[in-house]
Amino acid sequence: MYGTDILNALRKNKISIGDRITFTVQGKEYEGILMPRPETGDDSTLIIKQDDGYNVGIKYHDGTILKIESKKAEGNKKSKNAKMEADQKLPKVTLLYTGGTIGSKIDYLTGGVRVLTTPSELLGEIPELAGMANIEVKDLMHTFSEDISHTEWSKIAEAAETAFNTGSVGVVITMGTDTMHYTSAALSFMLQNIPGPVVITGAQRSSDRGSSDAFTNLACAVAIAAQGKIAEVGICMHSTSSDKQCSFIRGTKVRKMHTSRRDAFKPINSTVLATVDIETYKVEYGEECKKTTKKTAKSYPKFESKVALIKMYPNADPKIIDFYVEKGYKGIILEGTGLGHVAINTVHKEYSWAERIRNAIGKGVIIGMTSQCLSGRVNPNVYSTARTISEMGVTYCEDMLPEVALVKLGWLLANHTRKEVKEQLSKDIVGEISSRITYKEM
Amino acid sequence: MNNTENDIRRYSEIGFMCGLEIHQRLSTPNKLFCSCSSRGEKENTLPEAEISRYQRAVAGEMGETDRSAEFEEKRKAKFIYHIHNDTTCLVDIDEEPPHQLNMDALSTALCVAKSLYLTIPDELEPMRKEVVDGSNPSAFQRTIKMGLDGKLEVNGRNVVITGMMLEEESAGIISKSQSGTTYDTSRIGIPLVEIDTDPYLRSPTEARDAALRIGLLLRLTGKVQRGIGSIRQDVNVSIKGGARTEIKGLQEVSSLDKFVENEIQRQQALIQIKDEVIAKKIGAVGKTTDLSNILGHTTVRIIQNELKNGGIVLGFKVSGFNGLLGREINPQRRLGSEVSDYAKMGGVKGIIHSDEHLEGYGFTMEEIRGIKEKLSISEKDAFILIAGSSEKVSIATDFAIQRVKLVQSGVPLETRGVSNADLYTTRFMRPLPSGSRMYPETDLHPVEVTKTMLDEAQASAPNPEKEEKTLLKDIGNAATAKQLMLSPYYSLYKSITSLKNIDKQFVANVLLQKFTELRRSGFSVEKISEDRLLELFTAYSERKITKQGVEEALKEISKNDVAISELLKTANLLRISGKDLEKIVKEFMAKSSDADKNSLIRNIMGKYRINIDGEELHATLEKLIKWKQQ
Repeated sequence: MYGTDILNALRKNKISIGDRITFTVQGKEYEGILMPRPETGDDSTLIIKQDDGYNVGIKYHDGTILKIESKKAEGNKKSKNAKMEADQKLPKVTLLYTGGTIGSKIDYLTGGVRVLTTPSELLGEIPELAGMANIEVKDLMHTFSEDISHTEWSKIAEAAETAFNTGSVGVVITMGTDTMHYTSAALSFMLQNIPGPVVITGAQRSSDRGSSDAFTNLACAVAIAAQGKIAEVGICMHSTSSDKQCSFIRGTKVRKMHTSRRDAFKPINSTVLATVDIETYKVEYGEECKKTTKKTAKSYPKFESKVALIKMYPNADPKIIDFYVEKGYKGIILEGTGLGHVAINTVHKEYSWAERIRNAIGKGVIIGMTSQCLSGRVNPNVYSTARTISEMGVTYCEDMLPEVALVKLGWLLANHTRKEVKEQLSKDIVGEISSRITYKEM
Repeated sequence: MNNTENDIRRYSEIGFMCGLEIHQRLSTPNKLFCSCSSRGEKENTLPEAEISRYQRAVAGEMGETDRSAEFEEKRKAKFIYHIHNDTTCLVDIDEEPPHQLNMDALSTALCVAKSLYLTIPDELEPMRKEVVDGSNPSAFQRTIKMGLDGKLEVNGRNVVITGMMLEEESAGIISKSQSGTTYDTSRIGIPLVEIDTDPYLRSPTEARDAALRIGLLLRLTGKVQRGIGSIRQDVNVSIKGGARTEIKGLQEVSSLDKFVENEIQRQQALIQIKDEVIAKKIGAVGKTTDLSNILGHTTVRIIQNELKNGGIVLGFKVSGFNGLLGREINPQRRLGSEVSDYAKMGGVKGIIHSDEHLEGYGFTMEEIRGIKEKLSISEKDAFILIAGSSEKVSIATDFAIQRVKLVQSGVPLETRGVSNADLYTTRFMRPLPSGSRMYPETDLHPVEVTKTMLDEAQASAPNPEKEEKTLLKDIGNAATAKQLMLSPYYSLYKSITSLKNIDKQFVANVLLQKFTELRRSGFSVEKISEDRLLELFTAYSERKITKQGVEEALKEISKNDVAISELLKTANLLRISGKDLEKIVKEFMAKSSDADKNSLIRNIMGKYRINIDGEELHATLEKLIKWKQQ
């Protein structure tokens, strides 16, 4: 946004963003298209796009004369292949748009993001989708992935249920990548009874650049969804930094392991369920894939949000547990060290977690233990510390990821009795716990 | 009217327009947006890793897609990137957002902008320039406009500098094959400045001289990289009835005018062909036909190979074009070469056309008859054949037909690259980009240009006129002064002459005449590093080697590069002076007591020419003779 002086001058001269203007500053004349002000930088600097495409910033001074040369030109906004239309004969796939740059276009003039809602728009941008599926786009929400909460998870789960029950063989969900693995875990529990794949995808490079992974990720996700062969909820993103293949990873066994790389999503304590070749869009299924058996879908969208994830670290203050207990939290997942430890034998008593944990459990809070190592399984039997913690009533969550345990606990608390929750937390429900971890899974 | 004016009038009559884009790498230790070394490629080292990517054209800021970007996408080209851990990080391979702008590079760029009298914006806006030829894994180049509307004096006339940019270097191409293009990522992100002139350079020689002058200005900053590829000149040329053609990547500025001359010739030839084609109403393209059956048993090697690998041969007719495809438009380049360039973009090896010596390829009369029959070729028609895998041939044929149709409009808007450096000819690279391929780099903040930054830039801005005057005073000869300033050794000259006890004229003489002389006698003096040369002249300034010795040392190190201190001993080049010299002089004087001064000098220099400085010998003799007489 421009500052008040500039905004007033623009209003006075009936100039809008996108108009071609001339203005004179200190004897020098500039001409170009007025561009919007980014959030950063000096709001008293005008940005104009010159004819060679470059933007330059020129400081606005009192006495600067702004003149409109021509109104904003109507850009050619037509998609490249507007002719392409949905093919009714192809299997139907519902695409649920929730946010992120994938499946959307940025309008640089307004700064806004526009969702590509019609099949022809989508096919125009991603011609690979033609011939793969009859895609129906549902514009569910425009939410940054870091802003997504359990209410959004529930909404997505219900939309997926509806999609399956109205003829879709698979569902693709596009979203921002930051909390994608939380969403995939939530949907894994909320959508246990589904007749086809739920494929979540996104982009690590935004779709406004020619090198974006958005197009291929989306096409690979649609390739899996359109086949409708498996009943799995998972994430489909690049396997490596190369544009070679995408990996489909189980929604409870996946984690974002890099801030920016295309292949940020990795299976933890697991292997990929399926791969899709980016050149041919051929899908190879692994043996672990659950085959489709059901006819109708049923979602369980309820979620208890009073659950917390606490990371153990040297010098951490155990009173954080009291805080959650006082706030009425019903469950806590501890992200312990190594095989599942927190400090209980400290020289200084204030650093010991033992009393705080006992107190919380005494008040009915369910506590689960996971490891900040992420890879590997927790074990309450190896060291005395873990034995003591386990004896206090803390549930050891096997090889479950801390984030997955958190989501599972919230989902269990909303859908089961307290006794059931305690039993189920360390039992496998949707593939979130594996009985064996093989050598190659690291 | 002198030659230059004649020239200018001649070019003005044909509607000659010409502008330059000069790209120069800066010599900052790090890259523009990351902390990698900006050393660039290391020869003969294996990459630690390799990745492959595809790119596609996306709409620019104004909602349009660039025509060259769409062209590249249509090629479905695969790009392979070699990664060296010491020069490439995640930023370079589009796996991490850019870091902050390199302030060293910014200050050098500001200093160049000041010396070109450019108006520097108050706020610099980092942009992305879409490039989908694979030369950048991000599919764009980060670029910042540093200034607009400047000027530069060239041969007494002010040439308009329209703009200057600070931007990232692209990846260096290693190889191009049907399966994809391979790039080395080491170079990506090295800071680069681009300086553009207006399109009103009046003659090919004026274009060349402007390029030389810009190169000089850049070298005078002392902060630019040297050596092959560190400066590249792109030149835009058009004539009346023709079209703007961008010739990219000329490395040798001295032959820039010759490339421009050939481009004029090419455009004239294409305009003439267009006029003929329109007058005769010819050039209709026939149906693309599969000729694989007709050529099933051919002995034409290139076709045989493709068919054996499951490929196909497609052919099409061009009505009335007999003789036109073979028409020469540049030395050793025909209209057919232009069509072939387009076809190659589809990934095939080229085309075969009917104006070529078909029997020479190995076609039988029967095969030629078969092709002609199938494509219904009459005497006036031409045909074009393309072989390769079916997917590639289909794309290549589309491109070839596109070019044949463009004959009707004369000169297509193209970006061209060097085809043959010895013949100064060019070949088609891609359509000329339209202006719509820029959008803001949203991963970076705009940069405010402060008064302090501008003042510092002004203070260190190079001033060629002033430098030339000082140089003239130092070495006394105007022609040598000018030549030295334009030579690549000028900054070395400045480093050397900042040493004590240096004969500046001697240094200039060595770097210019002596180097040329030695090169002509077969010594590769150009291979000697600047560090080594500086070391040699330091020895000279410290009186460890004579002027004659310097020449001998140059011959030696051009063959075998060793430390100067070592060379002085092994090659017996150490200067004899002071007490040691007196001792030798005394010996000679004792040996021939009746010899006069001149014959003594002759005798001594005859034996110690390389090790004794003539002037010092003179002075020593004077001193000793006087002493003897007393």
